[in-house]
Amino acid sequence: MVGMVGLLEGLVLQSGSAGGGTDSAPFADAIGGLLGFGANMGPGETLIAAFIGAFFIGNLMLAMTGVAGPWAKRKITAAFTDRLAVNRVGPFGLLIIVADAVRLLSKELIVPDGVDRPAWDIAPILMAGSALLGFAVIPMGNGIQLADPETGLVYVFAVSSLASLGLVTAGYASNNKYSLLGGLRSVAQNLAYEIPLVLTAASVVLFAGTLQMSEIVAAQTEPLFAIAGIAIPSWYAFVNPFAFVLFLAANLAEVGRNPFDIPEAPTEIVAGYQTEYSSVYFVLMYLGEFLHIFLGGAIIATLFLGGPAGPVLPGIVWFIIKIWAVFLFTQWARSAVPRVRIDQLIEIGWKGMLVLAFANLVLTAIIVGLIA
Amino acid sequence: MSLEDPRDTEALEEELVGVTNEGVDYDALEDLLGEHVIGRESHLNAEAFVIRPDEVQEVLFTLRDQAGFDHLSNLSAQEYEDRYESVYHLKKYNDPTQEVTVVVPTTKRDPRSQSAEPVYRTADWHEREAYDLIGIEYDDHPDLRRILLPETWQGHPMGLDYDQDQPQVVSFENHANPLEEDHQDAESDTMFINIGPHHPATHGVLHLKTVLDGEQVADVDPDIGYLHRCEEQMAQSSKYRKEIMPYPDRWDYSSAGILNEWSYARAAEDLADLEVPEYAQVIRTMAAELSRMAGHMLAVGTFALDVYGDFTAIFQYAFRDREKILNLLEDLTGQRLMFNYLRLGGVAWDLPEPREEYFEKLRDFLDELPQTVEEYHSLLSSNEIFQIRCVDTGVLEPDVAKSYGATGPIARGSGIDYDLRRDDPYGYYPELDWDVITEDGSDNYARVLVRLQEVEQSARIIEQCVDLLAEWPEEDREIQSNVPRTLRPEEDAEIYRAVEAAKGELGIYMRSDGTDSPARFKIRSPCFSNLQTLPELSEGEYIPDMVASLGSLDIILGEVDR
Repeated sequence: MVGMVGLLEGLVLQSGSAGGGTDSAPFADAIGGLLGFGANMGPGETLIAAFIGAFFIGNLMLAMTGVAGPWAKRKITAAFTDRLAVNRVGPFGLLIIVADAVRLLSKELIVPDGVDRPAWDIAPILMAGSALLGFAVIPMGNGIQLADPETGLVYVFAVSSLASLGLVTAGYASNNKYSLLGGLRSVAQNLAYEIPLVLTAASVVLFAGTLQMSEIVAAQTEPLFAIAGIAIPSWYAFVNPFAFVLFLAANLAEVGRNPFDIPEAPTEIVAGYQTEYSSVYFVLMYLGEFLHIFLGGAIIATLFLGGPAGPVLPGIVWFIIKIWAVFLFTQWARSAVPRVRIDQLIEIGWKGMLVLAFANLVLTAIIVGLIA
Repeated sequence: MSLEDPRDTEALEEELVGVTNEGVDYDALEDLLGEHVIGRESHLNAEAFVIRPDEVQEVLFTLRDQAGFDHLSNLSAQEYEDRYESVYHLKKYNDPTQEVTVVVPTTKRDPRSQSAEPVYRTADWHEREAYDLIGIEYDDHPDLRRILLPETWQGHPMGLDYDQDQPQVVSFENHANPLEEDHQDAESDTMFINIGPHHPATHGVLHLKTVLDGEQVADVDPDIGYLHRCEEQMAQSSKYRKEIMPYPDRWDYSSAGILNEWSYARAAEDLADLEVPEYAQVIRTMAAELSRMAGHMLAVGTFALDVYGDFTAIFQYAFRDREKILNLLEDLTGQRLMFNYLRLGGVAWDLPEPREEYFEKLRDFLDELPQTVEEYHSLLSSNEIFQIRCVDTGVLEPDVAKSYGATGPIARGSGIDYDLRRDDPYGYYPELDWDVITEDGSDNYARVLVRLQEVEQSARIIEQCVDLLAEWPEEDREIQSNVPRTLRPEEDAEIYRAVEAAKGELGIYMRSDGTDSPARFKIRSPCFSNLQTLPELSEGEYIPDMVASLGSLDIILGEVDR
């Protein structure tokens, strides 16, 4: 699986490099340097270096979801509800990750009667894969960025939206009415929230004047102002807190966490689109979900929190801290906030968030216009 | 339909027949019914009029509209050697001590009787149950099919000639999947979906046959009986004195067992004319209120689960607080769930020694409680998303609630001021200072508020009980009156008595045949009647609201199915 996604990433990376002349692939270059390929790598050498880079990043993200899914999620929820959670297997219960992985993978893969194959098989792969693809353009600090195309931001939103396709495929192909309801709900929800999400991101683009992820991060390094000798960087979360909050909320809907966990809604439609999935496919669905939360965190970190910037610690560490902070936020919402109803969700999306996102965009345009 | 009849209740109030200061004037009622009455019986709780099976609706309409009996509390059906009988127990929501019973005998050869469904909607399910278990058929019934047993069941198991050992042979044709019918044809734009019997939100094994129009519920039909354990039959084959008491714990098993036990204790004590010492009544009252609090905690916690979605903080908090109550009940009864603590004529044993320590524990719990309830209010009722989900969803209008025989927090959430602890006093409640909570919202939100406030009222009652018990003189601590070793109530004595359980009016009908076990034992379960309102609450609403409404009804399937 990892290898396959790595392959996909490599291919996308290649086409990206071929398309945009000025695009650079700093991480692949660095790996090429380590391997002794020299300054001007040929196509074969670039491919090898890119594969290794993709392998590294893909595994880093999968390892994080591995920690988050079976262990951190339980621990965090337990902290919110006065419980202990896993504490029997290994130190702090950490080995539950291994135990759970073995358990889930060794379960029987039940293929229900009448499912629409191969659509039913493609959906989980699509969901996990689409999230992994997004990480290709995220600058993670210390030069770890697979590709840096000029249209990086557009690319991230484009590939992460592929997940919606996975959701609706899963819902439709499962031959289960709960799945169908879940699939339909997820499409309605993603339509309603993707537009405010992209519009809010566009306001950041107005500030930064570029779609290139590394440039957006670079634009946030200037000090905004200084308090008692400590310079506050011009992270867009500080420059435009309104957009930041809007983006956080829309992101909750995008990753389907309370108050917007409507596509799954365990007490209403059992598990929505993933009702019929078991064993490996369930793991893939689950991985996909957590990868999407982390990808959401990575986008928020890049657009609003200065990317990998931070004092003392290396950039990659800061980057991981930031995306885990966003993860913590989603889990907090999950433990504390009631779920809204589907019609209320659509109403909030189209009548509330969309209007606010447009207002934010216009306001930003005016401010940027005045400053320039 | 009767529900749509415009009724000017104000005007009726003044000229109700048979209302006197000393209770019901049965002679006036007999005059009112005129020649419909073909006989009269005296039951221990009320007078009973015997009527012809084809005049049921006329008699009940008269009693409802002209004498104000707006609550069909229960229907007990039974088979005698020479006849079948449907016994309708009528009450008034304004004053449940005003009761009248209507007995409808039918012949053995053709057990047909007119349905009471047009008069009281709640008769729908009650008559289905009578048909299912006893075998009486009701003319005019909108939907007379089995309710507790599978549709393919042979025979009526509580009839006299039913052979318990008869194998249930179901032919392949008859076993065709009853759910096979689907809505997948070209014309239909609705979708049939089975919610349950295994589903996260059905709180047990409940099956909702639901028809969806998009996300909206077009039709919902609760299918119950998955947890039917023949509780009535078991009680009928047990002796009054000690053998029946453990069963009530298994009806509403949300740790509200003491309240269930009390329903049997009250009915049996009145049937056998037993006294209960005052000291035991105080202990019963205290234990019952602890049970009610535990039941309400579970109700609020699981309702939060239904609305919030995941296993969120509130569910866990509610469980934590219920746990504290269970600890207290364990100290008292030696059990955490199936208490079996009440005895006919008193309770099993006195408070645990050292008494002071137990009082201290109780007081500590009560001291913490206001803060806990405050926590629920800040997590639940003052949460804005919770409000937009619950306010004005699952609306149950008061007159609809009455027609369905809804009681307990469901009725009080619809503004019906009905609480048997106050209106039909028993135990030590009349001596204590507490309030009946009502809310006018009639929606899911009102029902949550009622439960949270009732927890506070229960705490008030317990506090007063603790004070009383602490100062009770040692020589007067009589926990049980003198009860004969074998109870044989008078032959043909009949009684229907109810108590206010956590979910509402929990009644027991018993008929004695002079032996030491009841000839008929009928349970009036509050959840059974309350669940019947679900289609009213949810048709036309969204699926999430139906789930929330189901949660707010707070049904325990053990009590629905018995």
